[in-house]
Amino acid sequence: MDNGKIDKIIDKYPSDSSSLIQVLLEIQSENRWLPKEALAKVSERLKVPLNRIRHITTFYKAFSVVPKGRHEIHVCTGTACHVRGAKRVLGAVQDATGLKPGLTGEDFRFSLETVNCVGCCALGPVMVIDGEHHGKLAPAKSKDVLKNYE
Amino acid sequence: MPRINSPAELEEFRKDVISKRGPNKPCIAVCTGTGCLALGAANVVAAFKEEIKKQGLETKVEVRETGCPGFCERGPLIVIYPEEISYLQVQPGDAEEIVSQTIFAKKVIDRLLYVDPITGEKIVHESEIPFYKNQMRLLIGNNIKIDPKSIDDYLAVGGYSALVKALCQVTPEQVVELVKNSGLRGRGGAGFPTGLKWEFARKSPDETKYMIVNADEGDPGAFMDRALLEGNPFSVLEGLTIGAYAIGAHEGYVYVRQEYPLAVENVTLAIKQAEAYGFLGKNILGSGFDFTVTVHRGAGAFVCGEETALLASLEGKPGEPRARPPYPAVKGLFGKPTNINNVETWSNIPLILNKGPEYFASIGTEGSKGTKIFSLVGKVNNTGLVEVPMGITLRDIIYEVGGGIPGGKKFKAVQTGGPSGGCITEEYLDIEVDFDELRKVGAIMGSGGMIVMDEDTCMVDVAKYFLKFLSLESCGKCSPCREGIRQMLKILTRISEGKGRESDIGLLMELAESTRDASLCALGGTAPNPVLATLKYFRHEYEDHILHKRCQAGVCEELYKAKCTNACPIGQDVPGYLSLVAEGRYEEAISLIYQTNPLPGVCGRVCTHPCTDVCLRAETDEPLNIPKIKRFAADMAKRKGYTVKLEKGKAKEEKIAVIGGGPGGLAAAYSLALMGYRPTIIEELPQLGGMLRYGIPPYRLPREILDQEIDFIVNVGVEVKTNTRVGRDITLGQLQKEYDAIFVAVGAHKSLPIRVPGEDLPGVKGGAEFLREVELGIAPHPGKRVAVIGGGDVAMDIARTCRRMGAEVTIAYRRERKDMPASEEEIADAIAENIELKELVAPKSIRRANSGLALEMDVCELRDFDRSGRRRPVPIEGAVITREYDTIFSAIGQTSDLDFAESLETKGDTIAVDRHRLVTNLPGVFAGGDAVIGPARIVDALAHGKKAAVEIDRLLALKSGRDPYAESLEKIKVTMTLPEVVTEQPMAEIPKLSPEERIKDFTAEVELGFDEETAKKECGRCLRCDVSWMAARDKSMAVAG
Repeated sequence: MDNGKIDKIIDKYPSDSSSLIQVLLEIQSENRWLPKEALAKVSERLKVPLNRIRHITTFYKAFSVVPKGRHEIHVCTGTACHVRGAKRVLGAVQDATGLKPGLTGEDFRFSLETVNCVGCCALGPVMVIDGEHHGKLAPAKSKDVLKNYE
Repeated sequence: MPRINSPAELEEFRKDVISKRGPNKPCIAVCTGTGCLALGAANVVAAFKEEIKKQGLETKVEVRETGCPGFCERGPLIVIYPEEISYLQVQPGDAEEIVSQTIFAKKVIDRLLYVDPITGEKIVHESEIPFYKNQMRLLIGNNIKIDPKSIDDYLAVGGYSALVKALCQVTPEQVVELVKNSGLRGRGGAGFPTGLKWEFARKSPDETKYMIVNADEGDPGAFMDRALLEGNPFSVLEGLTIGAYAIGAHEGYVYVRQEYPLAVENVTLAIKQAEAYGFLGKNILGSGFDFTVTVHRGAGAFVCGEETALLASLEGKPGEPRARPPYPAVKGLFGKPTNINNVETWSNIPLILNKGPEYFASIGTEGSKGTKIFSLVGKVNNTGLVEVPMGITLRDIIYEVGGGIPGGKKFKAVQTGGPSGGCITEEYLDIEVDFDELRKVGAIMGSGGMIVMDEDTCMVDVAKYFLKFLSLESCGKCSPCREGIRQMLKILTRISEGKGRESDIGLLMELAESTRDASLCALGGTAPNPVLATLKYFRHEYEDHILHKRCQAGVCEELYKAKCTNACPIGQDVPGYLSLVAEGRYEEAISLIYQTNPLPGVCGRVCTHPCTDVCLRAETDEPLNIPKIKRFAADMAKRKGYTVKLEKGKAKEEKIAVIGGGPGGLAAAYSLALMGYRPTIIEELPQLGGMLRYGIPPYRLPREILDQEIDFIVNVGVEVKTNTRVGRDITLGQLQKEYDAIFVAVGAHKSLPIRVPGEDLPGVKGGAEFLREVELGIAPHPGKRVAVIGGGDVAMDIARTCRRMGAEVTIAYRRERKDMPASEEEIADAIAENIELKELVAPKSIRRANSGLALEMDVCELRDFDRSGRRRPVPIEGAVITREYDTIFSAIGQTSDLDFAESLETKGDTIAVDRHRLVTNLPGVFAGGDAVIGPARIVDALAHGKKAAVEIDRLLALKSGRDPYAESLEKIKVTMTLPEVVTEQPMAEIPKLSPEERIKDFTAEVELGFDEETAKKECGRCLRCDVSWMAARDKSMAVAG
């Protein structure tokens, strides 16, 4: 991610430490992960020590300090999905991708995460891939869904 | 966009907006909330737009993308105005028909309407659908009427009139007073009075104050705030602005979790529009009041819902809570007085201003006013958002609004308040829902998550789930929370893996209490709630996991091989014998079956097969026909003359009596004989078999099969004394003196009375007694016209037996066919035999008539839900029918005849035992089967029999100082490979005799059994849940990054 882009993002917010989380969220959504260089830049511009930025990036679930795959899979493990069998859907997705939650494949095709609730409990079990929701899943169906993402 | 500078200008503008629309202009409102979008609502909108363009109707028909009305289960949802026609599950392909038929020709399209599951009636208007009808939609009602991206839509439904009232008609103090008088309590969870909170903030002496909308809806399974913020962000902003005016703040934040991108988008846009119109910014509506709002996205941390953690996060710090006081009202964001309320609280404010505090206070209970939105999710038919008045019962929410539990499953519990809340059982479903009542039963209102759980939910797993969630979300700042949760989770995990210790329950309680009392913030303070609540109501599930390594619900995977095996009370290795049959290894198959079941031919025919109910193959097409494969294996063994090799224990001296020769008694005697005892079965009737022989007619269970299997058991080493009734021929006291141990398994052979006038007349008979007499050959002919009252399997057996005796039979049942306890297959078989099923009739009286008995029956309708989760049949006034019969049978249930044993302690109509060891109050006397659990399944009786044998042996071994018998079973090698490809293939149906053939002969078996090819093919459908794919998977894990 080039410095110009990062500057542009930082410029949108008040240049003090209270903007830190908002800036990081925007970089994360733009770049899908937070490279070291980007964090250094943020540290310099917002005058926040790098160790505090590290604290933030590891405290909040939304941030990733490692590169992500081409497709980000979020399997919802919220309560409603859980009682409707999210565990088995997650198992099937793990099986199909060879990944455990939190990991990215060597081919960078998928990153797998779990999420606490995406708020469409009526459709549970739910999986979100690149922002697209897939609901009422069964293990076999979730494997089929993955085939559409190369 | 116009800037509106005064209330007069606003009213002018509002009139203009409304007049431009015209009340009769057709409008297609499509829900584009997250739920419907996930179901393809965007494509539906596009299809409508294209269709309208194609027909050149752009100016005549409006397509409106709206917020979520709550019925997410049936999305994508659309409502067509002005008629308010509601269509469900609309697909893009329906657009053309809807435009041409409904918009143009004003015709309703039947197939897209809601169908009432009870009456089958199609419902046109949204407000008449039961899901909506039973709600009170003051807050979310507007969601489907407005486009959340259009402030004009909000103005058209009266938006911002509350702000006008606040700014121009009353003082800030008066606003606080109004809110106080309304009785509104915070909807975020704790239920603190909102007006009081405002007063504190108002009185804080500081120039700078902050207002915050808490939209960090982190409770998994709750999405009320998402729907409000997404669907009607203006109402939240209006409420917030009124609050800011009341408190004297000029800056506000909306703290919304980034997992809700659409909510972020809509509220951001709403702020922009409100600024443009002058509802936010400087000099709002010319009042001189300034207020600005900024959106702040949460970065994914549950603890940030806690107000002090939220404040830290807003300041750009890690979301760690701090001790209170000082409360935010004194020292909040950036050290300034701050007022934080939840989304739903804010959206109540315009309502209170518009309608007055008296109106608001008229809704709800003494201590909790107004409505509450719940997200009703989990195992419930109508999942979605429901807004109901405080004080409604949980039963009404789950059944009337939610439509009950899907798939005919049994309700187990409802969890309210998310991870900080607790679960509520059936027993308390009639409490009135409000802040205080929920707390009394050990749960909390929380933000409004309501997760319904059925019999397939394991409560240990639920507690583990929440604790796992909380352990990941605990910020780690204080050790009671960080360590307490972690240790509780560790214990729960080992319990769920079958490694629990007997002391674990006590340890959990202790940890729960210290975590609750010593944690810094509410996350830790409430974290033990799921553990405490499940322990309070479901201690037996914990005990089952710890003592018996059993998860009845089939959730804790480490405790079983496959779901079918787990669902079977005797734990049959179903995938094992299926695999053996598939390979043609029949001899090994029958040996494997015999290891846990001494009655395979019987069970293969008449078991109610709980295994098939949980078969995972049903997710692909249909479950496997497991019982019929067992029958095939048993029949095959008989045909080929296979004998099962048995290993018997060393002969033992002690004498054991088994009272009752039914499945429970037979199983106990069999196991005891294998252990080396020589038990004696004492049976009242002339032959062994109990209900199998004297309750199940031979067309379902041929006597030759029953006799063979009983003979096998007896030949292992069992003494039999038939025609001996305990209590008549010998007393229990005598038996206690003669025998070292006794197992009581007397079954439930006595029919319950129907309790109507005339039931003592000759010709009115108990069903169970009749079936027994038929078997004994002493039953009088029931005559030409027979009525059977009841809807269970026994009712079917009586009806079909009488049919075979040449009678015309009517089954009278007070509910509907779908509610009948009898298996659907039995009902269908009965109807195929020309037996009449009369639904919704309840017996009223019986009297003598000219030629037989006149049965008077009330015609019933189904009303509210009763404790069984089914609708209660209520007689319709004046609707009575009378029919004449020769014999009327009562088959509404059975009970045990326990007159023989007055010294045995009972619980209701059953014998009281310790459920872990089956011991009664009398030393050395054990009991099991129907006599203990009430009329149950054959496999339950078999399981009790085996368990009693083990317990009896343990007792006797202890007395004589030897080791208890250790069962050693032959290892039968089963091929452990997964099916390579799974192609859709329905369950193999069992061939049957034609109805005409089968009613001719009383003993002709109706079901004919599988041929070899069919049986093997059916076995091939098994997905082999027992083969652990986990191991294979873990090896191939890739690690990167």
